[in-house]
Amino acid sequence: MPILEVSDLQVTMGPQQILRGVNLKVEQNGIVAVMGSNGVGKTTLMRAISNIYQISGGDIIFERDSISNLGADKVVKMGVCQAPEGRQIFANMSVEENLVLGAYHQDKSHFNEDLEWVFELFPILKERLKQQAGAMSGGEQQMLCIGRALMGRPKLLLMDEPSLGLAPLVVKSIFDLVVKIRDAGTAILIVEQNAKAALCVADYGYIMEGGAIILEGPSEELAKDDRLTAAYMGGHAHA
Amino acid sequence: MDTYFLMQLINGLSVGMIYALIAIGFTLIFGVLNVVNFAHGEMYTIGAFAGLVCINMIHAPLAIIIVAALVAGGLSGIGLERIAFKPFRRFQDEASLKSRAMREATLLSSLAVSIIIKEVIQHFFGAEMQTIPGQYMLNNPIQVGPLSLSSGQFLILGSSILMLGGLQYVLYHTRIGLSIRAISNNPLGAKYVGLSVDKTIISTFAVGSMLGGAAGIMVGLYYGAIFPTMGFTPSIKAFVAMVMGGLSSIPGAVICSLILGVCESLATNYLTQGWSDMVAYSFLIVTLIFFPQGIFGSRRERV
Ligand SMILES: Nc1ncnc2c1ncn2[C@@H]1O[C@H](COP(=O)(O)OP(=O)(O)OP(=O)(O)O)[C@@H](O)[C@H]1O
Ligand SMILES: [Mg+2]
Repeated sequence: MPILEVSDLQVTMGPQQILRGVNLKVEQNGIVAVMGSNGVGKTTLMRAISNIYQISGGDIIFERDSISNLGADKVVKMGVCQAPEGRQIFANMSVEENLVLGAYHQDKSHFNEDLEWVFELFPILKERLKQQAGAMSGGEQQMLCIGRALMGRPKLLLMDEPSLGLAPLVVKSIFDLVVKIRDAGTAILIVEQNAKAALCVADYGYIMEGGAIILEGPSEELAKDDRLTAAYMGGHAHA
Repeated sequence: MDTYFLMQLINGLSVGMIYALIAIGFTLIFGVLNVVNFAHGEMYTIGAFAGLVCINMIHAPLAIIIVAALVAGGLSGIGLERIAFKPFRRFQDEASLKSRAMREATLLSSLAVSIIIKEVIQHFFGAEMQTIPGQYMLNNPIQVGPLSLSSGQFLILGSSILMLGGLQYVLYHTRIGLSIRAISNNPLGAKYVGLSVDKTIISTFAVGSMLGGAAGIMVGLYYGAIFPTMGFTPSIKAFVAMVMGGLSSIPGAVICSLILGVCESLATNYLTQGWSDMVAYSFLIVTLIFFPQGIFGSRRERV
Protein backbone atom coordinates (compact mmCIF):
# COMPACT_ATOMS: atom_id res chain seq x y z
CA MET A 1 0.00 0.00 0.00
CA PRO A 2 1.42 3.42 -0.91
CA ILE A 3 2.17 5.83 1.94
CA LEU A 4 0.97 8.77 -0.15
CA GLU A 5 -1.60 8.75 -2.87
CA VAL A 6 -2.59 11.94 -4.66
CA SER A 7 -5.58 11.61 -6.94
CA ASP A 8 -6.97 14.11 -9.41
CA LEU A 9 -5.52 16.99 -7.37
CA GLN A 10 -6.63 20.43 -8.43
CA VAL A 11 -5.51 23.80 -7.14
CA THR A 12 -6.86 27.15 -8.27
CA MET A 13 -5.44 30.58 -7.48
CA GLY A 14 -8.03 33.21 -8.26
CA PRO A 15 -9.07 32.69 -11.87
CA GLN A 16 -6.08 30.52 -12.67
CA GLN A 17 -6.10 26.75 -12.40
CA ILE A 18 -2.55 25.77 -11.44
CA LEU A 19 -2.96 22.02 -10.94
CA ARG A 20 -5.28 20.24 -13.37
CA GLY A 21 -5.74 16.83 -11.87
CA VAL A 22 -2.42 15.43 -10.66
CA ASN A 23 -2.18 11.73 -9.83
CA LEU A 24 0.83 10.27 -8.09
CA LYS A 25 1.88 7.66 -5.55
CA VAL A 26 4.76 7.27 -3.16
CA GLU A 27 5.41 3.75 -1.94
CA GLN A 28 6.49 2.95 1.59
CA ASN A 29 10.28 3.36 1.60
CA GLY A 30 10.30 4.80 -1.90
CA ILE A 31 12.04 7.78 -3.40
CA VAL A 32 9.85 9.46 -5.97
CA ALA A 33 10.95 12.36 -8.13
CA VAL A 34 8.72 14.99 -9.72
CA MET A 35 10.38 16.85 -12.56
CA GLY A 36 9.41 19.65 -14.86
CA SER A 37 10.50 23.09 -15.93
CA ASN A 38 9.76 26.43 -14.28
CA GLY A 39 6.21 27.28 -13.41
CA VAL A 40 4.56 23.94 -14.17
CA GLY A 41 3.19 23.66 -10.64
CA LYS A 42 5.69 21.50 -8.77
CA THR A 43 5.87 23.77 -5.73
CA THR A 44 2.12 24.21 -5.79
CA LEU A 45 1.78 20.42 -5.61
CA MET A 46 4.15 20.25 -2.63
CA ARG A 47 2.35 23.08 -0.86
CA ALA A 48 -0.99 21.45 -1.45
CA ILE A 49 0.25 18.20 0.10
CA SER A 50 1.49 20.14 3.14
CA ASN A 51 -1.85 21.95 3.34
CA ILE A 52 -0.22 25.33 2.84
CA TYR A 53 -2.54 25.82 -0.11
CA GLN A 54 -6.16 24.80 -0.13
CA ILE A 55 -7.09 22.39 -2.85
CA SER A 56 -10.11 22.85 -5.06
CA GLY A 57 -10.59 19.24 -6.07
CA GLY A 58 -9.26 15.70 -5.77
CA ASP A 59 -7.83 14.07 -2.69
CA ILE A 60 -4.59 13.45 -0.82
CA ILE A 61 -4.42 10.16 1.05
CA PHE A 62 -1.66 9.59 3.58
CA GLU A 63 -1.55 6.14 5.17
CA ARG A 64 -5.20 5.47 4.25
CA ASP A 65 -6.55 8.78 5.66
CA SER A 66 -7.40 11.86 3.68
CA ILE A 67 -5.20 14.78 4.71
CA SER A 68 -6.47 17.22 2.14
CA ASN A 69 -8.34 19.43 4.62
CA LEU A 70 -6.50 18.95 7.87
CA GLY A 71 -4.52 22.16 8.15
CA ALA A 72 -0.75 22.50 7.91
CA ASP A 73 -0.11 21.82 11.60
CA LYS A 74 -1.99 18.49 11.70
CA VAL A 75 -0.25 17.28 8.58
CA VAL A 76 3.15 17.85 10.18
CA LYS A 77 1.91 16.14 13.34
CA MET A 78 0.97 13.09 11.26
CA GLY A 79 4.50 12.81 9.93
CA VAL A 80 4.55 14.67 6.62
CA CYS A 81 7.39 17.20 6.81
CA GLN A 82 8.74 19.42 4.10
CA ALA A 83 12.07 21.00 3.24
CA PRO A 84 10.44 23.75 1.17
CA GLU A 85 11.49 25.78 -1.81
CA GLY A 86 13.43 28.87 -0.75
CA ARG A 87 14.34 27.03 2.48
CA GLN A 88 12.09 29.19 4.67
CA ILE A 89 14.35 28.83 7.68
CA PHE A 90 14.05 31.21 10.63
CA ALA A 91 16.89 33.49 9.64
CA ASN A 92 16.92 35.66 12.78
CA MET A 93 16.93 32.69 15.11
CA SER A 94 19.75 30.34 16.02
CA VAL A 95 20.39 27.05 14.28
CA GLU A 96 19.40 25.33 17.50
CA GLU A 97 16.08 27.15 17.71
CA ASN A 98 15.36 26.23 14.11
CA LEU A 99 15.86 22.57 14.95
CA VAL A 100 13.76 22.89 18.10
CA LEU A 101 10.99 24.39 15.99
CA GLY A 102 11.26 21.47 13.59
CA ALA A 103 10.52 19.21 16.55
CA TYR A 104 7.64 21.39 17.76
CA HIS A 105 5.08 18.58 17.69
CA GLN A 106 7.47 15.88 18.89
CA ASP A 107 7.85 14.44 22.32
CA LYS A 108 10.83 15.87 24.24
CA SER A 109 11.96 12.36 25.16
CA HIS A 110 13.43 11.57 21.76
CA PHE A 111 14.68 15.09 20.96
CA ASN A 112 18.34 14.28 21.64
CA GLU A 113 18.19 11.08 19.66
CA ASP A 114 16.72 12.90 16.65
CA LEU A 115 19.26 15.69 17.02
CA GLU A 116 22.10 13.14 16.93
CA TRP A 117 20.66 11.73 13.72
CA VAL A 118 20.58 15.18 12.14
CA PHE A 119 24.18 15.82 13.27
CA GLU A 120 25.23 12.51 11.80
CA LEU A 121 23.85 13.59 8.43
CA PHE A 122 24.99 17.21 8.70
CA PRO A 123 27.97 17.48 11.09
CA ILE A 124 28.35 21.15 10.21
CA LEU A 125 25.11 21.97 12.03
CA LYS A 126 26.60 20.81 15.30
CA GLU A 127 29.39 23.35 15.00
CA ARG A 128 26.97 26.10 14.04
CA LEU A 129 24.39 25.35 16.70
CA LYS A 130 24.49 28.75 18.40
CA GLN A 131 24.94 30.74 15.22
CA GLN A 132 22.23 32.79 13.61
CA ALA A 133 20.69 30.70 10.85
CA GLY A 134 20.58 33.55 8.34
CA ALA A 135 24.32 34.08 8.67
CA MET A 136 25.15 30.66 7.24
CA SER A 137 26.04 29.90 3.63
CA GLY A 138 23.36 28.80 1.19
CA GLY A 139 24.45 25.17 1.34
CA GLU A 140 24.46 25.18 5.13
CA GLN A 141 21.01 26.75 5.16
CA GLN A 142 19.78 23.98 2.88
CA MET A 143 21.19 21.42 5.31
CA LEU A 144 19.45 23.20 8.17
CA CYS A 145 16.24 23.19 6.18
CA ILE A 146 16.42 19.43 5.68
CA GLY A 147 17.58 18.91 9.27
CA ARG A 148 14.66 20.93 10.56
CA ALA A 149 12.23 18.79 8.57
CA LEU A 150 13.87 15.62 9.91
CA MET A 151 13.40 16.83 13.49
CA GLY A 152 9.69 16.36 12.89
CA ARG A 153 10.27 12.57 12.55
CA PRO A 154 8.75 12.41 9.08
CA LYS A 155 7.32 9.21 7.70
CA LEU A 156 7.18 11.10 4.42
CA LEU A 157 9.71 13.80 3.63
CA LEU A 158 8.87 16.31 0.91
CA MET A 159 11.86 18.06 -0.65
CA ASP A 160 11.35 20.96 -3.02
CA GLU A 161 14.43 21.54 -5.19
CA PRO A 162 17.06 20.86 -2.54
CA SER A 163 19.80 21.34 -5.14
CA LEU A 164 18.79 24.84 -6.21
CA GLY A 165 21.74 27.21 -6.27
CA LEU A 166 24.22 24.75 -4.79
CA ALA A 167 27.64 23.77 -6.11
CA PRO A 168 27.73 20.39 -7.94
CA LEU A 169 29.73 18.77 -5.16
CA VAL A 170 27.23 19.86 -2.53
CA VAL A 171 24.38 18.68 -4.73
CA LYS A 172 25.94 15.26 -4.90
CA SER A 173 26.33 15.06 -1.15
CA ILE A 174 22.71 16.10 -0.64
CA PHE A 175 21.50 13.37 -2.99
CA ASP A 176 23.68 10.83 -1.17
CA LEU A 177 21.96 11.86 2.02
CA VAL A 178 18.54 11.47 0.43
CA VAL A 179 19.31 7.78 -0.04
CA LYS A 180 20.61 7.54 3.50
CA ILE A 181 17.44 9.12 4.90
CA ARG A 182 15.29 6.72 2.90
CA ASP A 183 17.34 3.77 4.12
CA ALA A 184 16.58 4.90 7.65
CA GLY A 185 12.89 4.37 6.90
CA THR A 186 11.51 7.64 5.53
CA ALA A 187 9.69 7.76 2.21
CA ILE A 188 10.74 10.71 0.07
CA LEU A 189 8.97 12.81 -2.53
CA ILE A 190 11.48 15.09 -4.21
CA VAL A 191 10.92 17.89 -6.71
CA GLU A 192 13.81 18.59 -9.03
CA GLN A 193 14.64 20.40 -12.21
CA ASN A 194 17.91 18.56 -12.29
CA ALA A 195 16.30 15.42 -13.75
CA LYS A 196 19.55 13.55 -14.22
CA ALA A 197 20.52 13.82 -10.57
CA ALA A 198 16.99 13.09 -9.37
CA LEU A 199 16.61 9.95 -11.49
CA CYS A 200 19.89 8.62 -10.11
CA VAL A 201 18.42 8.32 -6.64
CA ALA A 202 14.70 7.97 -7.30
CA ASP A 203 13.04 4.67 -8.01
CA TYR A 204 10.06 6.22 -9.76
CA GLY A 205 9.60 9.50 -11.57
CA TYR A 206 6.88 11.81 -12.81
CA ILE A 207 7.19 14.56 -15.40
CA MET A 208 4.90 17.54 -15.00
CA GLU A 209 3.81 20.05 -17.55
CA GLY A 210 1.14 22.71 -17.38
CA GLY A 211 -0.20 21.53 -14.04
CA ALA A 212 -0.54 17.86 -14.92
CA ILE A 213 1.57 14.72 -15.10
CA ILE A 214 2.46 13.99 -18.72
CA LEU A 215 4.84 11.09 -18.25
CA GLU A 216 5.70 8.65 -15.50
CA GLY A 217 7.62 5.47 -14.95
CA PRO A 218 10.44 3.71 -13.11
CA SER A 219 13.61 5.80 -13.11
CA GLU A 220 15.63 3.57 -15.44
CA GLU A 221 12.91 3.68 -18.06
CA LEU A 222 12.37 7.41 -17.73
CA ALA A 223 16.07 8.07 -18.01
CA LYS A 224 16.04 6.32 -21.37
CA ASP A 225 12.83 7.96 -22.61
CA ASP A 226 13.44 10.16 -25.62
CA ARG A 227 10.84 12.72 -24.65
CA LEU A 228 12.51 13.28 -21.32
CA THR A 229 16.03 13.35 -22.66
CA ALA A 230 15.00 15.86 -25.26
CA ALA A 231 13.28 18.16 -22.84
CA TYR A 232 15.27 17.97 -19.64
CA MET A 233 18.65 16.47 -20.20
CA GLY A 234 19.59 17.99 -23.48
CA GLY A 235 20.98 21.44 -24.03
CA HIS A 236 18.60 22.98 -21.50
CA ALA A 237 20.22 25.26 -18.99
CA HIS A 238 18.94 24.71 -15.47
CA ALA A 239 18.20 27.62 -13.17
CA MET B 1 17.74 71.78 41.58
CA ASP B 2 19.49 68.44 41.51
CA THR B 3 16.79 66.73 43.52
CA TYR B 4 14.20 68.30 41.27
CA PHE B 5 16.01 66.92 38.25
CA LEU B 6 16.15 63.48 39.84
CA MET B 7 12.46 63.56 40.67
CA GLN B 8 11.61 64.51 37.10
CA LEU B 9 13.81 61.70 35.91
CA ILE B 10 12.00 59.14 38.05
CA ASN B 11 8.68 60.56 36.98
CA GLY B 12 9.78 60.35 33.36
CA LEU B 13 10.84 56.74 33.78
CA SER B 14 7.48 55.75 35.22
CA VAL B 15 5.61 57.53 32.43
CA GLY B 16 8.01 55.88 29.97
CA MET B 17 7.26 52.47 31.44
CA ILE B 18 3.58 53.03 30.71
CA TYR B 19 4.41 53.88 27.12
CA ALA B 20 6.59 50.78 27.05
CA LEU B 21 3.79 48.49 28.19
CA ILE B 22 1.58 49.82 25.41
CA ALA B 23 4.36 49.86 22.84
CA ILE B 24 5.14 46.19 23.48
CA GLY B 25 1.62 45.25 22.41
CA PHE B 26 1.97 47.27 19.22
CA THR B 27 5.35 45.70 18.55
CA LEU B 28 4.29 42.10 19.21
CA ILE B 29 1.27 42.45 16.96
CA PHE B 30 3.27 44.21 14.29
CA GLY B 31 5.78 41.36 14.50
CA VAL B 32 3.33 38.55 13.78
CA LEU B 33 0.96 40.35 11.41
CA ASN B 34 2.92 43.27 10.02
CA VAL B 35 0.00 45.57 10.73
CA VAL B 36 -0.65 48.37 13.19
CA ASN B 37 -3.53 47.74 15.52
CA PHE B 38 -5.44 50.99 15.82
CA ALA B 39 -7.65 49.65 18.60
CA HIS B 40 -4.69 49.00 20.87
CA GLY B 41 -5.28 52.19 22.87
CA GLU B 42 -8.76 50.93 23.72
CA MET B 43 -7.26 47.90 25.47
CA TYR B 44 -5.68 50.41 27.82
CA THR B 45 -9.03 52.12 28.34
CA ILE B 46 -10.78 48.79 28.89
CA GLY B 47 -8.19 47.82 31.48
CA ALA B 48 -8.83 51.04 33.36
CA PHE B 49 -12.60 50.67 33.26
CA ALA B 50 -12.44 47.02 34.30
CA GLY B 51 -10.43 48.09 37.33
CA LEU B 52 -12.91 50.86 38.03
CA VAL B 53 -15.82 48.44 37.96
CA CYS B 54 -14.01 46.21 40.45
CA ILE B 55 -13.49 49.19 42.73
CA ASN B 56 -17.08 50.32 42.59
CA MET B 57 -18.78 46.94 42.73
CA ILE B 58 -16.70 44.86 45.08
CA HIS B 59 -14.19 47.28 46.63
CA ALA B 60 -11.47 44.87 45.61
CA PRO B 61 -7.89 45.22 46.83
CA LEU B 62 -5.30 46.64 44.45
CA ALA B 63 -3.84 43.30 43.41
CA ILE B 64 -7.25 42.03 42.32
CA ILE B 65 -7.91 45.26 40.43
CA ILE B 66 -4.73 44.83 38.45
CA VAL B 67 -5.53 41.20 37.72
CA ALA B 68 -8.98 42.27 36.54
CA ALA B 69 -7.40 44.81 34.20
CA LEU B 70 -5.03 42.16 32.84
CA VAL B 71 -7.85 39.69 32.25
CA ALA B 72 -10.16 42.28 30.70
CA GLY B 73 -7.34 43.47 28.44
CA GLY B 74 -6.46 39.93 27.39
CA LEU B 75 -10.05 38.93 26.63
CA SER B 76 -10.72 42.12 24.70
CA GLY B 77 -7.55 41.53 22.72
CA ILE B 78 -8.80 38.09 21.73
CA GLY B 79 -12.19 39.49 20.75
CA LEU B 80 -10.58 42.28 18.80
CA GLU B 81 -8.47 39.84 16.83
CA ARG B 82 -11.48 37.69 15.95
CA ILE B 83 -13.55 40.66 14.81
CA ALA B 84 -11.07 43.01 13.17
CA PHE B 85 -8.15 40.85 12.01
CA LYS B 86 -9.14 37.21 11.48
CA PRO B 87 -11.62 37.88 8.66
CA PHE B 88 -8.85 39.41 6.57
CA ARG B 89 -6.58 36.43 6.89
CA ARG B 90 -7.56 33.88 4.31
CA PHE B 91 -4.01 33.57 3.11
CA GLN B 92 -3.04 31.21 0.38
CA ASP B 93 0.60 32.27 0.19
CA GLU B 94 3.36 34.26 1.80
CA ALA B 95 2.50 37.38 -0.14
CA SER B 96 -1.01 37.82 1.22
CA LEU B 97 -0.03 37.19 4.84
CA LYS B 98 2.02 40.34 4.71
CA SER B 99 0.18 42.01 1.89
CA ARG B 100 -0.72 45.60 1.52
CA ALA B 101 -4.42 45.06 0.92
CA MET B 102 -4.75 43.16 4.17
CA ARG B 103 -2.79 45.80 6.02
CA GLU B 104 -5.05 48.55 4.81
CA ALA B 105 -8.20 46.59 5.48
CA THR B 106 -7.22 45.86 9.08
CA LEU B 107 -6.22 49.47 9.66
CA LEU B 108 -9.82 50.40 8.99
CA SER B 109 -11.42 47.48 10.76
CA SER B 110 -9.36 48.06 13.90
CA LEU B 111 -10.12 51.76 13.74
CA ALA B 112 -13.82 50.92 13.52
CA VAL B 113 -13.60 48.63 16.54
CA SER B 114 -11.75 51.34 18.42
CA ILE B 115 -14.56 53.84 17.75
CA ILE B 116 -17.21 51.33 18.75
CA ILE B 117 -15.45 50.53 22.03
CA LYS B 118 -15.18 54.21 22.90
CA GLU B 119 -18.85 54.78 22.08
CA VAL B 120 -20.00 51.80 24.12
CA ILE B 121 -17.96 52.84 27.15
CA GLN B 122 -19.25 56.37 26.81
CA HIS B 123 -22.81 55.09 26.59
CA PHE B 124 -22.52 53.23 29.90
CA PHE B 125 -20.19 55.47 31.88
CA GLY B 126 -20.56 58.88 30.29
CA ALA B 127 -17.87 60.95 28.61
CA GLU B 128 -16.69 62.71 31.73
CA MET B 129 -13.90 61.77 34.07
CA GLN B 130 -14.80 59.01 36.52
CA THR B 131 -14.50 59.60 40.22
CA ILE B 132 -12.16 57.24 41.98
CA PRO B 133 -12.56 56.71 45.74
CA GLY B 134 -9.71 58.49 47.51
CA GLN B 135 -8.27 55.42 49.20
CA TYR B 136 -7.61 53.84 45.78
CA MET B 137 -5.63 56.75 44.42
CA LEU B 138 -1.95 56.01 44.11
CA ASN B 139 -0.62 59.40 45.07
CA ASN B 140 0.47 58.85 48.65
CA PRO B 141 3.69 60.75 49.06
CA ILE B 142 6.74 58.65 49.84
CA GLN B 143 9.84 60.45 51.01
CA VAL B 144 13.12 58.88 49.89
CA GLY B 145 15.91 61.05 51.31
CA PRO B 146 15.41 64.44 49.74
CA LEU B 147 13.14 63.06 47.01
CA SER B 148 9.41 63.20 47.41
CA LEU B 149 7.99 60.44 45.25
CA SER B 150 4.58 58.85 45.18
CA SER B 151 3.28 55.34 45.68
CA GLY B 152 2.01 55.31 42.09
CA GLN B 153 5.49 55.72 40.70
CA PHE B 154 6.70 52.78 42.72
CA LEU B 155 3.77 50.67 41.65
CA ILE B 156 4.21 51.56 38.00
CA LEU B 157 7.96 51.01 37.94
CA GLY B 158 7.79 47.85 40.04
CA SER B 159 4.97 46.12 38.23
CA SER B 160 6.18 47.15 34.78
CA ILE B 161 9.56 45.61 35.47
CA LEU B 162 7.80 42.49 36.69
CA MET B 163 5.67 42.35 33.58
CA LEU B 164 8.65 42.93 31.29
CA GLY B 165 10.38 40.05 33.06
CA GLY B 166 7.28 37.91 32.62
CA LEU B 167 7.11 38.78 28.95
CA GLN B 168 10.76 37.90 28.47
CA TYR B 169 10.10 34.58 30.15
CA VAL B 170 7.09 33.88 27.94
CA LEU B 171 8.95 34.80 24.76
CA TYR B 172 12.12 32.86 25.45
CA HIS B 173 11.11 29.94 27.66
CA THR B 174 7.68 28.81 26.57
CA ARG B 175 6.30 27.07 23.50
CA ILE B 176 3.92 29.86 22.75
CA GLY B 177 6.77 32.39 22.97
CA LEU B 178 8.83 30.30 20.60
CA SER B 179 6.02 30.25 18.07
CA ILE B 180 5.40 33.99 18.43
CA ARG B 181 9.06 34.62 17.63
CA ALA B 182 9.07 32.09 14.81
CA ILE B 183 6.01 33.59 13.15
CA SER B 184 7.42 37.10 13.51
CA ASN B 185 10.56 35.87 11.82
CA ASN B 186 9.05 33.81 8.99
CA PRO B 187 5.31 33.13 8.86
CA LEU B 188 5.55 30.77 5.92
CA GLY B 189 8.41 28.83 7.51
CA ALA B 190 6.26 28.57 10.62
CA LYS B 191 3.52 26.85 8.64
CA TYR B 192 6.01 24.38 7.23
CA VAL B 193 7.09 23.28 10.70
CA GLY B 194 3.45 22.94 11.68
CA LEU B 195 2.95 25.89 14.00
CA SER B 196 -0.64 26.96 14.33
CA VAL B 197 -0.48 30.50 13.00
CA ASP B 198 -4.02 31.25 14.09
CA LYS B 199 -3.55 30.23 17.73
CA THR B 200 -0.27 32.10 17.93
CA ILE B 201 -1.81 35.29 16.61
CA ILE B 202 -4.58 35.07 19.21
CA SER B 203 -2.04 34.56 21.97
CA THR B 204 -0.06 37.52 20.74
CA PHE B 205 -3.11 39.74 20.94
CA ALA B 206 -3.90 38.38 24.39
CA VAL B 207 -0.40 39.03 25.74
CA GLY B 208 -0.06 42.47 24.16
CA SER B 209 -3.51 43.58 25.27
CA MET B 210 -2.97 42.35 28.83
CA LEU B 211 0.03 44.61 29.19
CA GLY B 212 -2.00 47.48 27.71
CA GLY B 213 -4.86 46.85 30.11
CA ALA B 214 -2.54 46.83 33.11
CA ALA B 215 -0.98 50.10 31.98
CA GLY B 216 -4.46 51.64 31.77
CA ILE B 217 -5.51 50.91 35.33
CA MET B 218 -2.16 51.97 36.80
CA VAL B 219 -2.30 55.32 35.04
CA GLY B 220 -5.95 55.71 35.97
CA LEU B 221 -5.25 55.28 39.65
CA TYR B 222 -2.07 57.34 39.59
CA TYR B 223 -3.46 60.39 37.82
CA GLY B 224 -7.05 59.81 38.91
CA ALA B 225 -8.15 60.12 35.33
CA ILE B 226 -10.32 57.41 33.82
CA PHE B 227 -12.42 58.40 30.80
CA PRO B 228 -13.47 56.83 27.48
CA THR B 229 -10.85 58.50 25.29
CA MET B 230 -7.97 58.15 27.77
CA GLY B 231 -6.20 55.64 25.51
CA PHE B 232 -5.61 58.05 22.68
CA THR B 233 -2.63 60.15 23.79
CA PRO B 234 -0.60 57.39 25.46
CA SER B 235 -1.07 55.07 22.53
CA ILE B 236 0.15 57.74 20.13
CA LYS B 237 3.25 58.08 22.30
CA ALA B 238 3.70 54.34 22.39
CA PHE B 239 3.30 54.22 18.64
CA VAL B 240 6.05 56.80 18.29
CA ALA B 241 8.27 54.71 20.55
CA MET B 242 7.59 51.62 18.46
CA VAL B 243 8.53 53.44 15.26
CA MET B 244 11.66 54.86 16.89
CA GLY B 245 12.59 51.41 18.12
CA GLY B 246 12.43 49.93 14.64
CA LEU B 247 8.84 48.56 14.54
CA SER B 248 9.53 44.99 15.50
CA SER B 249 12.12 45.22 18.24
CA ILE B 250 10.85 44.90 21.80
CA PRO B 251 14.04 46.14 23.47
CA GLY B 252 14.04 49.02 20.97
CA ALA B 253 10.45 49.92 21.82
CA VAL B 254 11.10 49.78 25.58
CA ILE B 255 14.24 51.90 25.44
CA CYS B 256 12.60 54.46 23.17
CA SER B 257 9.55 54.59 25.43
CA LEU B 258 11.77 55.38 28.40
CA ILE B 259 13.69 58.02 26.44
CA LEU B 260 10.40 59.56 25.38
CA GLY B 261 8.99 59.55 28.91
CA VAL B 262 12.10 61.13 30.39
CA CYS B 263 12.36 63.78 27.67
CA GLU B 264 8.74 64.73 28.13
CA SER B 265 9.10 64.94 31.83
CA LEU B 266 12.22 67.10 31.63
CA ALA B 267 10.60 69.25 28.99
CA THR B 268 7.89 70.32 31.43
CA ASN B 269 10.63 72.44 33.02
CA TYR B 270 10.68 74.60 29.96
CA LEU B 271 7.32 74.08 28.29
CA THR B 272 3.76 74.02 29.50
CA GLN B 273 1.93 70.69 29.69
CA GLY B 274 0.27 70.90 26.29
CA TRP B 275 3.50 71.76 24.58
CA SER B 276 5.38 68.88 26.13
CA ASP B 277 3.30 66.58 23.95
CA MET B 278 5.22 68.13 21.07
CA VAL B 279 8.27 66.19 22.21
CA ALA B 280 6.80 62.93 20.99
CA TYR B 281 5.68 64.35 17.67
CA SER B 282 9.05 65.95 17.04
CA PHE B 283 10.72 62.64 17.82
CA LEU B 284 8.45 60.92 15.35
CA ILE B 285 9.22 63.37 12.58
CA VAL B 286 12.94 63.29 13.24
CA THR B 287 12.89 59.49 13.27
CA LEU B 288 10.91 59.20 10.08
CA ILE B 289 13.14 61.65 8.24
CA PHE B 290 16.55 60.62 9.48
CA PHE B 291 16.13 57.06 10.74
CA PRO B 292 13.43 55.41 8.66
CA GLN B 293 14.47 52.03 10.04
CA GLY B 294 14.25 53.17 13.64
CA ILE B 295 17.10 54.60 15.64
CA PHE B 296 18.43 51.16 16.44
CA GLY B 297 18.76 50.44 12.74
CA SER B 298 16.60 47.37 12.74
CA ARG B 299 16.72 45.12 9.73
CA ARG B 300 13.34 44.61 8.31
CA GLU B 301 10.56 46.84 7.39
CA ARG B 302 9.42 50.43 7.24
CA VAL B 303 6.01 51.84 7.90
N1 LIG C 1 0.02 31.94 -4.45
C1 LIG C 1 -0.06 32.03 -5.76
N2 LIG C 1 -0.87 32.95 -6.33
C2 LIG C 1 -0.98 33.04 -7.66
N3 LIG C 1 -0.33 32.25 -8.52
C3 LIG C 1 0.50 31.32 -8.04
C4 LIG C 1 0.67 31.15 -6.63
N4 LIG C 1 1.55 30.15 -6.44
C5 LIG C 1 1.91 29.74 -7.65
N5 LIG C 1 1.28 30.42 -8.62
C6 LIG C 1 1.44 30.21 -10.08
O1 LIG C 1 1.35 28.85 -10.33
C7 LIG C 1 2.25 28.45 -11.34
C8 LIG C 1 3.11 27.31 -10.86
O2 LIG C 1 3.95 27.76 -9.82
P1 LIG C 1 4.90 26.80 -9.01
O3 LIG C 1 5.64 27.64 -8.00
O4 LIG C 1 4.13 25.66 -8.50
O5 LIG C 1 5.90 26.32 -10.14
P2 LIG C 1 7.17 25.39 -10.02
O6 LIG C 1 6.91 24.24 -10.90
O7 LIG C 1 7.50 25.11 -8.62
O8 LIG C 1 8.27 26.30 -10.69
P3 LIG C 1 9.83 26.47 -10.30
O9 LIG C 1 10.54 25.36 -10.96
O10 LIG C 1 10.18 27.79 -10.92
O11 LIG C 1 9.93 26.48 -8.82
C9 LIG C 1 3.05 29.69 -11.71
O12 LIG C 1 2.52 30.19 -12.89
C10 LIG C 1 2.80 30.65 -10.58
O13 LIG C 1 2.79 31.95 -11.02
MG1 LIG D 1 9.07 25.50 -7.41
